[in-house]
Amino acid sequence: MKIGRSQSGKRKKEIDFFNPAYYTNRELSWMLFNERILGEARDKNLPLMERLKFLSITASNLDEFFMVRVASLKDAIHSGSRKPDLAGMIPSEQLKRLTEATHDFVQSQYQTYNRVLLPLMNKNGIHLIKKHKDLTYAQGEYVDRYFQESVYPVLTPMAVDSSRPFPLIRNRSLNLGALIKGEEDGPEFAMVQVPSGLPRVLSIPEEGEEGTTLILLEEVIERNIHKLFLNYKVITSGAFRVMRNADFTVEDDEDTDLLLEIEKQVRKRQWGRAIRLEAREGMDKRLLSLLVKELKTEADDLYFINGPLDLTVLMKIASLPGFDHLRRPPFQPQVPKYMDPEEDIFAQIRDHDILLHHPYETFEPVVSFIQQAASDEQTLAIKQTLYRVSGNSPIIAALAEAAENGKQVTVLVELMARFDERNNILWARRLEQAGCHVIYGLKGLKVHSKITLVVRQEEEGIRRYVHLGTGNYNDSTAKIYTDIGFFTCSDPYGEDATAVFNMLSGYSEPEVWNRLSVAPLWLKDRFLYLIHRETGNAKTGREARIIAKMNSLNDRDIIAALYEASAAGVKVDLIVRGICCLRVGIPGVSENITVRSIVGNYLEHARIFYFYNEGKEELYCGSADWMPRNLERRVEILFPVEKRNLMDDLIHILNVQLNDNEKASILTPEGRYVRVRKSPGEEAMRAQDEFVREAKENARKKEEMLNDRVFTPEKGLV
Amino acid sequence: MKKLFAAIDVGSYELGMKIFELGGKTGIKEIDHVRHRIDLGDDTFHEGMISFRLMDELCEILKGFVEIMEGYHIEKYQAYGTSAIRETVNTNVVLDQIRLRTGLEVRVLSNSEQRFFEYKAVALRGEQFEQFIEKGTAFIDIGGGSTQVSLFDQGHLISSVNLHLGILRIRDKISALEPNYSRYEGYVTELVNNELHTFKRIYLSNYRIENVIVVDDYISPVVNQIARENGVEDVTAEMYQRHLNEVTKKAPMGLARSLGIPEENASLFMPAAIIVSRILSGTGAKRLWFPGVSLADGIAYDFAERNKYVASSHDFEKDILSAAENLAKRYCCSDTISGELVNASLSIFDGTRKIHGLTKRERLLLHLSARLRDVGKFVTLSSPAEVSYAIIMGTEIIGLSHAERKVVATVVKNSYPNNISYDEFAEQDFESRDYRAAVKLAAILRVATGLARSTHREYRNIKSAIKGRELLITVDTDDQLLLEKGLFFERSDTFEEVFGLKPVLKVKGGRA
Repeated sequence: MKIGRSQSGKRKKEIDFFNPAYYTNRELSWMLFNERILGEARDKNLPLMERLKFLSITASNLDEFFMVRVASLKDAIHSGSRKPDLAGMIPSEQLKRLTEATHDFVQSQYQTYNRVLLPLMNKNGIHLIKKHKDLTYAQGEYVDRYFQESVYPVLTPMAVDSSRPFPLIRNRSLNLGALIKGEEDGPEFAMVQVPSGLPRVLSIPEEGEEGTTLILLEEVIERNIHKLFLNYKVITSGAFRVMRNADFTVEDDEDTDLLLEIEKQVRKRQWGRAIRLEAREGMDKRLLSLLVKELKTEADDLYFINGPLDLTVLMKIASLPGFDHLRRPPFQPQVPKYMDPEEDIFAQIRDHDILLHHPYETFEPVVSFIQQAASDEQTLAIKQTLYRVSGNSPIIAALAEAAENGKQVTVLVELMARFDERNNILWARRLEQAGCHVIYGLKGLKVHSKITLVVRQEEEGIRRYVHLGTGNYNDSTAKIYTDIGFFTCSDPYGEDATAVFNMLSGYSEPEVWNRLSVAPLWLKDRFLYLIHRETGNAKTGREARIIAKMNSLNDRDIIAALYEASAAGVKVDLIVRGICCLRVGIPGVSENITVRSIVGNYLEHARIFYFYNEGKEELYCGSADWMPRNLERRVEILFPVEKRNLMDDLIHILNVQLNDNEKASILTPEGRYVRVRKSPGEEAMRAQDEFVREAKENARKKEEMLNDRVFTPEKGLV
Repeated sequence: MKKLFAAIDVGSYELGMKIFELGGKTGIKEIDHVRHRIDLGDDTFHEGMISFRLMDELCEILKGFVEIMEGYHIEKYQAYGTSAIRETVNTNVVLDQIRLRTGLEVRVLSNSEQRFFEYKAVALRGEQFEQFIEKGTAFIDIGGGSTQVSLFDQGHLISSVNLHLGILRIRDKISALEPNYSRYEGYVTELVNNELHTFKRIYLSNYRIENVIVVDDYISPVVNQIARENGVEDVTAEMYQRHLNEVTKKAPMGLARSLGIPEENASLFMPAAIIVSRILSGTGAKRLWFPGVSLADGIAYDFAERNKYVASSHDFEKDILSAAENLAKRYCCSDTISGELVNASLSIFDGTRKIHGLTKRERLLLHLSARLRDVGKFVTLSSPAEVSYAIIMGTEIIGLSHAERKVVATVVKNSYPNNISYDEFAEQDFESRDYRAAVKLAAILRVATGLARSTHREYRNIKSAIKGRELLITVDTDDQLLLEKGLFFERSDTFEEVFGLKPVLKVKGGRA
């Protein structure tokens, strides 16, 4: 790829925008993202419970990262692959760097926990007993009784000897290992899994202290472990946890029933290869070396943990009843700016296109859109793609009801939504029983798009109502993920939506798309075209600008196109929550690009793309990140928002985020993220808080308008 | 409430269904379109019949169509099969299987009916079509098994010919040669050129073709996209050649990528693009129009027109008649005789309306029979009946169904003195209505031929009226019609048998 002439008129040296030196390894970039979340756990300005949540999130993130990414790298190394990534690192190099980073990260996690959060918890009356030995006599008695009544019956202790092989240890399970000795035999290995069905945190009677005293289940079991191995002496015991390879691919075999295959794989995941062993610091060396040997753990994969294993338990502590003063004040998603909850939803969509900004604006209209359609006489059909839905989803219930009411209901269920497969299979079956036509994903492609189509037979003929979104149809996550939703009944969108479902049902793609761009067909080309158009404009001296907000950016072609754009003079501002393999500030390559990441109370999830286009601005939203997996291996939809007022709203969202000087971190040319510093005199701006304020303000205005319509009698007329 | 209608096309390389909304201001509005690639034609054209495996797939897809129809609560639909179904040896078994497994009634379209539907969909676009065909226009309808080229001039259809240049056929012929991609385009071009050569010599020599209208599934969307991007309504030949010559040189994947079309379509895109390109260079046409209609549109337009949801500004019967006139001209039929024969036949038809029970459409068939009666004389004067029959059966007249063509040919054959043969009517395997119509029309034509015996006759008027048990045919002419009167009775036997009326010839204004 070449760039044009420099300002001096001399031809610059040709720049290869694909040069690996210009890219960051995605795994290392992901580690930086998790560090930013850890940064929230360390943020003194946040209430304690929120900080505990963030620390817990870093732990569950890291688990998933290990099971998927680290496992893939290990697979690659085992298969002898030396294929470099976009930053030019071969798998073994990547793993080496990553292992260092992960060990450091875990250190930081427990430092944060031990040095900052634990003292704060104590200070605020949340006392977590570190070791069972610290229990008072009364507390001990309480705990033992609990063990006897509730825990003991569900435990399955296992011992290993010549006749009993080393047990299979479940993925991500927390276990207690022990060395036990019979009267005559030498020490043997024994273990018991800490049951996942029981609460990990137990509240116990306080001893003179104010607040709540807690103990972890593994401590309760460890205290009573001798009761599991009668006639044996427990020499030593300690908690450990194993992580296994979970990144599986469904075999694309014509005869394979996809559903069965996934069920099989979910079961199999429990027994994937061990890739991480976590053990409590101070574990008896004999016990540890036995575990290392049996689990074939490499030295790098052994993590000594200075604190409770599996910090996701902090989420439970953060949700303890009471302690509201240690949390952010709860926020109730507001009535959307463009909607009236009293009015018929179809009439409102007929009247105007509607943009929803979740979770600031409530997700309720999306649910009631489907609920109303389900019982509406004029509705002929409802079609929807479902990726991850909530446990007791009102959407699933509405779809089932619609089918029972004789509507044609087509649901494309993505079974392969990672870690959600079991859940997905359950409700997919439920929909089928209700008479819905359920399509179980597409072979070789994950359906990640979020689209709903309601077809109604109205007086004027067939009318199609479309909802498109950047987030899943999940009423629970819609309260914590920031997303954009869009309602329209304009024909071009309706035709495209019909075409999407025809395509997902196995029919050919349409001859032309009116508005939607659909991956994996031509979405990437579309993005490249939009970027190149700005580049072209910049090259001919016209103003050119790109603002893009997404979750991750690691597509090499897109990054190269952005470099080319930057080199041509396009001003590019990126708001990327997570992975970003693009590097900023490379002379002649990416000097015009800024990257910022916002980690806040809500999970940034919306994808919004702005292109200046010589003043004829274009704005798009969609389900796809700029990642190869989104652009090439998934069904994704990008949709334009064309009504001026809604475009202005989207531009406003982007601008507020670009002006965030409290929660935003900026990527530096050195590849680090640093918090944005306020300039002297500059007002504080927290994008998420600003959106909360605006949503409340809009709702208040709406309320006032409604109240204004009420006639108030003059006083004193009686 | 508007009516919903489904049009199903069981094509040779694709199954398609379009759902339309009929009525109201919009007339016809497409609501949904589903397509599924299935090379039924591969089986039919190679093996002669549709395999069990494809039969299964076919029924599965059609079942899906039925479900979609149910979703829209559709009551009216029309499903048609084209060449792959028509040419398979077990057509009836295939149709029966479809009926049993999906509940769909699929009818088989003759090539000319199919082309007529597509033509109708374009013609119903109104102004643009009328404006195009004022000048010499080639209407190219590219299908899987063959391509139909119809020529228009001064607003009317002149002739129509079916070339064995279907895109599926071309693709299969070429792939049998296993060429590498660099030679692929060359092969296709050569194949297309061979077919076009004869066509050009016979049909194009008398006309200057300025416009080309293309109906197809693959190039139309791409060309229209190019037109949109260039901000133009019509595409010029120059623009077409410039954009498409480059891409047809590419391998399917590259082609798909550069045009933004599905890869599975790329292999069929190229033959279509080359057919159009060759016709453009062969005719020197300057303007192109891709109306982007499909058979399903035609089916819907036909249904909508018959059920008065839309009114057509174009007179399709005139097309049929003008095509027949051109055919008669090509075989050197006398204008005067065929003109008088038409007048006489139609006069008798109109005069016996009360008793024959025939329709306006059958009047058109009589008109055609009269016009084409003597085409066989171009080949032989001794037995023109058989030859006329063969020529009519071998010539496509867009707008006539296969059954209608058979009626016309049989009527013509039996209009000659000794040829009335009920056995022959029986052998034609007519539906009973067509059988009755054919016999009645033949009876009328036989009487009418008795009136048109000489190229010198000029009739001012011919009137027919029933009087008691007689059909009185009054001819206003200065001639005495001695010849006609003398031979008249020998033609009237059949008429008497069929109608129970005795035709009587009366001359008004004659000198005798």
